[in-house]
Order: sequence, then C-alpha cells, then structure tokens
Amino acid sequence: MTEPVLRVEGLSKSFAGVCALDDVSIDVRPREVIGLIGENGAGKSTLLKVLAGVLRADRGRIIVRGTPVSSVNVAAAAASGIGIVFQEQAVLPNVTVAENILLGHERRALRAGFYDWRTLYALAVTQLDKLGAGISPSALTATLSFGERQLVEIARALAIEERTRHEPIILFDEPTSMLDAHGTETVLGQIERLRLRASVVFVSHRLDEVLRVSDRICVMVNGRCVSTRDRAMCNIADLERLMLGRELDAAYQQQAPLSTHGRKVRLSVRALSRQNSYQGVSFELHAGEVLGIAALAGSGGESLCRTLFGAERADTGEIVLDGRAVRLREPADAVRLGIGYVPAERRLEGIVGGLGVRENMTLAHLDELRRGPFIDLAGEEQLVKSWIQRLRISTPAADTPAHDLSGGNQQKVVLAKWLIGRKLKLLILDHPMRGLDIGVKAEMFALIRELAREGLGVLLVADTVDEVMALSHSIVVMKDGVISGRFPATAAKPSRLQVLERMV
Amino acid sequence: MTPAPPTDGSPPIPPEDREVRSRIGPAARRFAPLAVLISLLSAVGAIEPSFLSLYSLNVLADESSVILILATGQTVVILLGGIDLSMAAVASLASVLIALALPAIGPGTLVGVLALTTLIGSVQGLIHARAQMPSFIVTLAGLGVWSGLALIIAQTTIPVAAGYSAVGWLESNSAGVPNSFSFALAALMVLAVALRRLPLGRYIYAIGMAERVALLSGIRVGRVKILGFALAGLFSGLAGMAMVARDSSGSPTIADSLLLPSIAAVVIGGTSITGGVGGLGRTFIGALTITVLRVGLATIGLDPAYEPIAYGVLVMSAVALTIDRSKAQIVK
Repeated sequence: MTEPVLRVEGLSKSFAGVCALDDVSIDVRPREVIGLIGENGAGKSTLLKVLAGVLRADRGRIIVRGTPVSSVNVAAAAASGIGIVFQEQAVLPNVTVAENILLGHERRALRAGFYDWRTLYALAVTQLDKLGAGISPSALTATLSFGERQLVEIARALAIEERTRHEPIILFDEPTSMLDAHGTETVLGQIERLRLRASVVFVSHRLDEVLRVSDRICVMVNGRCVSTRDRAMCNIADLERLMLGRELDAAYQQQAPLSTHGRKVRLSVRALSRQNSYQGVSFELHAGEVLGIAALAGSGGESLCRTLFGAERADTGEIVLDGRAVRLREPADAVRLGIGYVPAERRLEGIVGGLGVRENMTLAHLDELRRGPFIDLAGEEQLVKSWIQRLRISTPAADTPAHDLSGGNQQKVVLAKWLIGRKLKLLILDHPMRGLDIGVKAEMFALIRELAREGLGVLLVADTVDEVMALSHSIVVMKDGVISGRFPATAAKPSRLQVLERMV
Repeated sequence: MTPAPPTDGSPPIPPEDREVRSRIGPAARRFAPLAVLISLLSAVGAIEPSFLSLYSLNVLADESSVILILATGQTVVILLGGIDLSMAAVASLASVLIALALPAIGPGTLVGVLALTTLIGSVQGLIHARAQMPSFIVTLAGLGVWSGLALIIAQTTIPVAAGYSAVGWLESNSAGVPNSFSFALAALMVLAVALRRLPLGRYIYAIGMAERVALLSGIRVGRVKILGFALAGLFSGLAGMAMVARDSSGSPTIADSLLLPSIAAVVIGGTSITGGVGGLGRTFIGALTITVLRVGLATIGLDPAYEPIAYGVLVMSAVALTIDRSKAQIVK
C-alpha cells in the first residue's frame, strides 16, 4: 500500500467545553478521494477547518508527506499543499477571475509592483485548463454563475500544485449542498477529474454522491471517526446505520403519540411560497403539538421559520394563527401575536453578548414588566431569578454578561426570553440543539415536551433525524424547498430511514 | 516543500489560541476618564491657581453647557451605533430662527423651533432607518442642507431685537451656579433616567450592541432609531437656544466649531463609538474634560492653535485607555 500523503493522528478540538473533534485519525493516500459523512455537528467541517489551518486543534498531529505540520493559518497550510474550497464561497466578487485565482500569490505576475496582466491571465488559464473550465480569466467574478464561481475556487486551490511541486490535497466542505442537480453533476465531475492530479477530502450530506466519487468513506459521529470503509464494502443503508447507529440516550426516547382530534388548530400555513426558498408549503399545527420539519441546510426550513416570525416575507400564501389570517411585517408583529423564535445562529441572532442574562431574558417582553412607564426592576429581577432556577441556567449572577455563559446556558436564556411572555402561543425552534452537548440536549428535550403538554404549539426545524423523531408528534420533511414527506401525528410513526430518504 | 518548524520529531499543535487582552482591567477602564479630568484640572490649577477659584469654575460651568447639551443628544445616537454630524448645523439654524422670531412671536418661538429641530432629527432618522442609509451619510448631507438653509435665512449675525428674556434666564445664576449649566445637567439627568429605567433605554443599548438580535426579539428597531435621532434634533434645538441666550444673538455659523468637540466629549467619556456601551454619566465627564481643555489652555496662555492638537491627543489616549479589546475578537 502506498504511503499516505496526509495523515491525521489523534486530533481533538473543543469549543467552549463542547467536544467537536474527539481523537480523530485518518489517512489520505495519493490520488485518493475520501468521503466524509456524518450528521450536522458530527465534526466534519471542524476537521476540514483544522486541516486547512482555519482552526487550531487542541491535541493531535497533522502529517503531510511524512513531515508534521503546525498549520497556524491558511497560508501555511497552503504552503504544505493543502487547499480548501469552502462551503460558503470565498471569492471576491469585485475583481477578475485571474486575481481571485492568484490571490495572495501574485508575485510571478508582478512587474515592478504592478500587475502584468498578460502573465496573470496566463497563470490563471493554466489553472482553469486543469479543470477544463472555459471561464475567461479577465471576467469580473460577480458576473459568473454560482457553479462557475465554485470552479474559480477549485482552480485557486489547484494553484497550490505549482507552488509546492507536489500534488495538492484539496478539501471540499459540502460543495454540493447549495447546488441543483446539474451543478452537482459538474462538481462531482470536477472531483473525478481531480483524482488524476490530487488527493481529495470531500464532505457531503448526500450519501449517493459520496458513494459515487469516494474511494473510501469515513463516517463521523459526535466528533469521532467511527468507521472508515472502502466504497466497494458498503451501501447507502450501511452508511445510514453507521451515521445514526449511536446508542440512544434517554433523551432520544420517542415522543409519545398525540391525538390531534378535537385540538385547536394553532397555526395553519396555506400554500406559502418564497422565491428561491420554499414553494407551496401547507401544514397545520395544533395546540400542544410539536411539529418537526426535517430539512437539510438550504432546503427551505430556516427560511420558512423566518417567514413565520416576520423576519422574511413570503411572496404568496397565507399564515393563519388561531383562525385569523395574520400579516407579519416585522418580527415585532409576530411577538405581539404570541410567537417566539429561537434562531439557529445563537451568537449573532439570539443573544446580546454584552448585556446581562437579565436584560437578555426580558428583552422581548419589557412592555409586560412595566410599572407606569418604567421597567419594574424588582419584579424583573424576581422573574429572571425564577427562570434561572426553573431552567437550571448556570450563571454566576443574573447580571453576568451573556457572552460569559456556555453555549447551552445561552440557549436556555434565549428560550427563557420567549417563555416569560404571558401570551406565548407558538414557539419556533430553528435548529435549537445546534452545538449543545448531550446533557443540555436532554434538558432541552424534556423542556420542549413539557411545554407542549402545557398547550404550546411548537414548530421545530432540524437537520438531524434523531432530533426531529424524538421531539415531534408529527413530521414534515422538506427537500429543495418543497414538502417531500408528511407523517401526521395520527398515522404510524415513520422509521428513521423513511424520514432520511425523503430528506436526501 | 513543507514549511514546518524545525522538527525534532513531532511538534504538537499549540494548545490555545492567544487571546487579545486589554492591557488594563475593567475597573481602571471605567474610571480612566474621570482620572483624566481630575489630572487635567489639577495640572491647569498648578500652573494657574486662580483657575480653581469659584469665579473661574462658574465660568467653566457656563462654558460647558452648550457642549454638554450637544454631547447628551449625540450620546443617544452613538449608543444606537450611529452618529449625527448635523447637530451643530441644526443648532445654528435654531439660533437664527430664534433670534429672528423672538421679537415678533415671543416665548412661543422656542416651542416652535424645538418642534422643528425635533422634526429635522426624526426625518434624518427616518431616512437612515427606512432607506437603510448609514447615519454618517444622512447627517453629513443634513449638515450641508441645514447650514446652507441657515445661511440663506440670515447671512450674518442676528441680534435679538426684543423678547430676550424668554431665553435670558439661562444666563443668570441660581445658588451660584449658572442656570445654563443647571439646565443642561437637568436635561442630561432626565435622559439618563430614561435610558436606565424605560424599556426604550434597553432597546437603545440592545440595538447598539446587536441590532439583529434586537430585531429578532421583536423590538421595532426602525422606530427606536427614529426616536433617537429625534432626540438628537431636540437637543440641537436646545443647544441653539442656549447659544442665543449666551450671545444675545443667533448666527448661521454659531455652533460650527462645536461639532467635533461634542463628539469628542462622548468618546472621551468612554462611550464606545461602535454603539451599545457607555452612557450619559460618562458623557458628563467627557464634556467637562473638553471644556477644561478649551478654557484651561487659554488660561495658561497657550496659543489657541494648540487646542485642536490637544483634542486629538486626548481623544486618542482616552479611546486607547477605555476601549475593551477583549470584544474585538471575531464573533464565532
């Protein structure tokens, strides 16, 4: 067997106490394509980012062609032959294709400090030719299609080849997740082509793709690489079992069945559409019901949440709350109607890091906490303390800045922000378990079930099947912006496989 | 080739990223502006002892009032994460209007002019919030428009021909303290209480720190911003009024030289220019510091040309001392 070009030994990485990578070891051989799969939060992206020098591991070694590398930044990783194509495109839209491809390595194309455009274009064309891409090097990047921009990124990663005089190792972080069928074909074709001149590590949610292009497939679960198999040795069912086959914690016990008979319809969504996000979405959510929407990133689930909270507008369709059609122009309208929203991006959208736990918790309901025109500070303090206790938020004090709390405790604060509202009717949870460790998850699961029992309507959007299955009475599956499966509370519980196959 | 560090086998990956830390603690950071004010006072007092006499301090207080009023309004806007460059121009416009209309209309003029400047502020806020234009741009344009308008209305200084008593009370003393100063301080304190105790105050801080979170918590961000700029407009009008009282006249350029000092006062006090951190107590210290600098440098006989240089140095060092660098990290 050939020597590996890239060897990863015992890599570990934690974020704020949550383990993202746990003793991961992988070998990549020359001209090999490794498929990396796993649920969200399994650590795939973290692994790629550590390899590319974007993040630094807590422990472990990365060895490239026999030499250990301490990649402290992307440039150093590139110098050792590792290039990355990010999930969110990282090309500059306002310069030419050639400038993007040679960004940071323009030296050969400089004459007395100025661009020698002819050389620059020639160098860029060399890279584009490797991909057989007929993109003009002088084109403005913003004018390219999404797929073409991705080619530019791949070309940039390939340029490492000349600089290191070795075949590069190219990392792809979910290159196809935002692409349609045609775009996906193109990218997979590119990976096939790269096999002739590079090693590839490729992360994807879509198992069929992984099986098609990978030589070996590595399955990650909870930060660990649980299995590495040759393509010939496995099929989709095997991989699914490996991905989901962890021992189920008590938290993952299935939600008890619920009879929606005679229950009030809390939220009714009728033929809701938003261009490029979701199309013709209809469903009903009853009081006391948890409705889970299983959807991969970019399948329209997040966008739907935002629409139901007034943060994005639908083009057509109707939202009916408690039998009344509502118009949500901004989130404030939704809050006034008793809708709460726990966003997926906690740090950017859920928590004001510089404000205390107290201020964060009451931010949405200060109007209910007034005495005359003023905030009733004593009442506020009491309320906040009771919720800190009830949700077991571990914080030194009620006024501790929220950014000093762990992710799990921050998430509890975000939840409390809505739960203190006196007229909360509907709670929208957008990937509420993201980045939480198993202990906090279990608490969250219990809490969400309890809230539903008390009569709250809960709309849950998540991309992990377990989460949706464990919490939801009824399940709606979304794929590419349309509903691809429905499992109402009244029908028999679907199997994981039934849900998963409608997602991917 | 791999540019790995010289290897003796296996360099482990360093365990922790280095954190950017502030060089001084939070407590020191909080009291640094006050320390700057006191040392500045003592320094000028050491060179020119009469500067600390009751009379001089009275003059100082009187002198600080207009900057205090402007800085108070500016603080609200800066806490929101914006800036209002038009405040001085609006104050000048207000001074002209007051001086022109007082003789004919009398004290009612003040109500009308203050309503007008408040409206000007809200229109700027409206454009900023609804048209998604940076407040810097909107108020820079406002600066041009309102000072131009003031110049069209009055080419030169307009003495208050009659009815001065409507504003003149600001120039007398009560209990040895200039009324203009007491008035500015009272206005600041009313606003400070509002910021601390009204939901609006919380909203302002939340928007300044994390506008997106505020929006997704159901705060009507646009409305709060418009209100903030309206307050800045109101305080511009109040500043114009105080200046008419002080000079017994209005002029289209009367407040021009106060724009930067009033913004500097906010920043020197320790309110973050990026929004969400700070408050009016700090602005009070900052406004006094700026005034001591202006008056003090003249008292010790320094060429007035040095004054802006001293501002520059002071603003820079105040921010260097008060900024919390631990927040400068990338938000993950």
